[in-house]
Amino acid sequence: MKSHNYTATAYLFLAPALILLGIFTFWPVGFNTYLAFHDYAIADGVTTWNDFAHFKYIYDESLFHSALKNSLLYLLVVPCIQLAALLMAKLVNNKLPGMTFFRATYYIPVITAISVAGVAWAFVYKYDGMLNGFLGWVGHALGLLASPEVQIDWLGNPDIAIFSVMAFTFWKGLGYYMVLYLAGLQAIPAEVEEAAILDGANAWDRFWKITVPMVKPTILLCTLLSTIGAMKAFQEVIVLSKGQADTYTALYYVFDQAFRNYNFGRAAAAGLVVTFFCMMLAIVQFRFFGDRK
Amino acid sequence: MITRKTLHRALGLGGHYTGLIVFALFTTFPFLWALSSGLSADASRMYQFPAGFWPQDMSLVWFERVFQEMPFTTYLKNSALLSLFTILGVVAVSVLAGYPLARMKFPGRGLIFVAIIATMMLPSEVGIVPNFITLKHFGDAADALQGALGLGPDWSLRGWVGLDSYFGAMAPNFAGAFGIFLMKQAFEAIPQDLIDAARVDGASEMQILWKVMVPVTTPSLAALAIFTLVGAWNDYLWPSIVLTSKDKLPLAVGVFNDLTGPFATSDNILMAAIVLTIVPVLVFFACTQRYFISGLDGAVK
Repeated sequence: MKSHNYTATAYLFLAPALILLGIFTFWPVGFNTYLAFHDYAIADGVTTWNDFAHFKYIYDESLFHSALKNSLLYLLVVPCIQLAALLMAKLVNNKLPGMTFFRATYYIPVITAISVAGVAWAFVYKYDGMLNGFLGWVGHALGLLASPEVQIDWLGNPDIAIFSVMAFTFWKGLGYYMVLYLAGLQAIPAEVEEAAILDGANAWDRFWKITVPMVKPTILLCTLLSTIGAMKAFQEVIVLSKGQADTYTALYYVFDQAFRNYNFGRAAAAGLVVTFFCMMLAIVQFRFFGDRK
Repeated sequence: MITRKTLHRALGLGGHYTGLIVFALFTTFPFLWALSSGLSADASRMYQFPAGFWPQDMSLVWFERVFQEMPFTTYLKNSALLSLFTILGVVAVSVLAGYPLARMKFPGRGLIFVAIIATMMLPSEVGIVPNFITLKHFGDAADALQGALGLGPDWSLRGWVGLDSYFGAMAPNFAGAFGIFLMKQAFEAIPQDLIDAARVDGASEMQILWKVMVPVTTPSLAALAIFTLVGAWNDYLWPSIVLTSKDKLPLAVGVFNDLTGPFATSDNILMAAIVLTIVPVLVFFACTQRYFISGLDGAVK
């Protein structure tokens, strides 16, 4: 009797979490899968089986293909952000004066709303914006350019727009991964590095032969997080380029189909494909990095 | 010999700080630029480097105009309201769920924990469409309930739980794997003696949780509250989809809509608005920043 009561209490405590997760996390997964195979009439919510029509449609659609291609291209941001974040963490992981200030400064982009940061960056990237102003000034000062006028359309030129959006992701995420790496670095005993210094290892060797192997678990975690983040990138696209100039990403396609075309079924089908890609990437990474145990 | 070593050290230190400063400039330059543009009465040199980074003809005129041309205080109030209730929701749900997962033995515990952690792997954005439809149904159900109870049209229960409601903007964020995991870890670190002593005294599980566990886990609770606050304050996508009335929008959505919409008259007003949006977060962060580092520290290991 007592143990029965005890179990009931445990489930009572868990109830709010389970109900909310059920409604807003687990149910969407199931419903999304269901929607992907049906036509959804937005007016009355009636669904009809459509014989894989959504999957056939996106399989043939070039817009979805370029969206997927862009999402895979977006993965290039992962190694850049990991290396820079690890370097950043290495720089602030000591007891020199001012480190609290620098750590906080690096974290500022993380705690800024993506929409507001995006507006600021849109000004940086503008045709006559700050980045062009800066490049012109540098070029002119170095004597490379005759006039300090550079006119590159960072968010309008289809060849570079996606990279501009990636640079924004890089800037926004750097501090977050820095904090994770910092936690990993602080777990390394100081003696290890001191011993290597006595042995005459230079900074480059120490970084690759001591730091990197010892923070490998953190690298796995961060790579996983940032890979999924890159695969899911699309808020950046909404706030910066609205999908113009070949910056359509896979989830932006989902969002666009759902809330501009109101084709919830097709959006769900595309979402399912993206989820599948995320899962595959996660599995590959666990295989790749997870062999140490 | 000593001087050479000192020189070497000084060079290394100089390089170290140069690296630090370069990174610092990279992470803050958009805001420094926004600040100086917002303070410049003379807009003509805003896009020139380096002149754009220094206020030209300093004045606060653009900041005043932000308050005149944008319902800035309404957005601010909405952001505060949404963040406060999200924190209360997240902390309550996470504490209640973390305790049995950490300190009680019951059938199904392992399965439930794995299921909760597995949600971290799912791209949450995929849930947007189903959640949108769910909230629409909530609204319809609220209407039906209102009809069944015979409440007058003044009541508008739909406005409380359906689309375009504060509840709809917050509820999907209440239960999260991160919060539950963080609290589970915190509860696991508490010595068993403390719980046993309370049980001997005849305390119920609820009393143990409330009187023993919660008071000794305040650092974790603070970390959770802070992370939730930052997340809720900056949440853009979901509120922008759910909330449609202008007077319900939080800062991250309202300011963005106004900045990119037809209202956008002068670049300098936009810059001033950007600065005003960021300042509350920065002040808060400055006061609590040690929790950001140490709070995550516990979550990683």
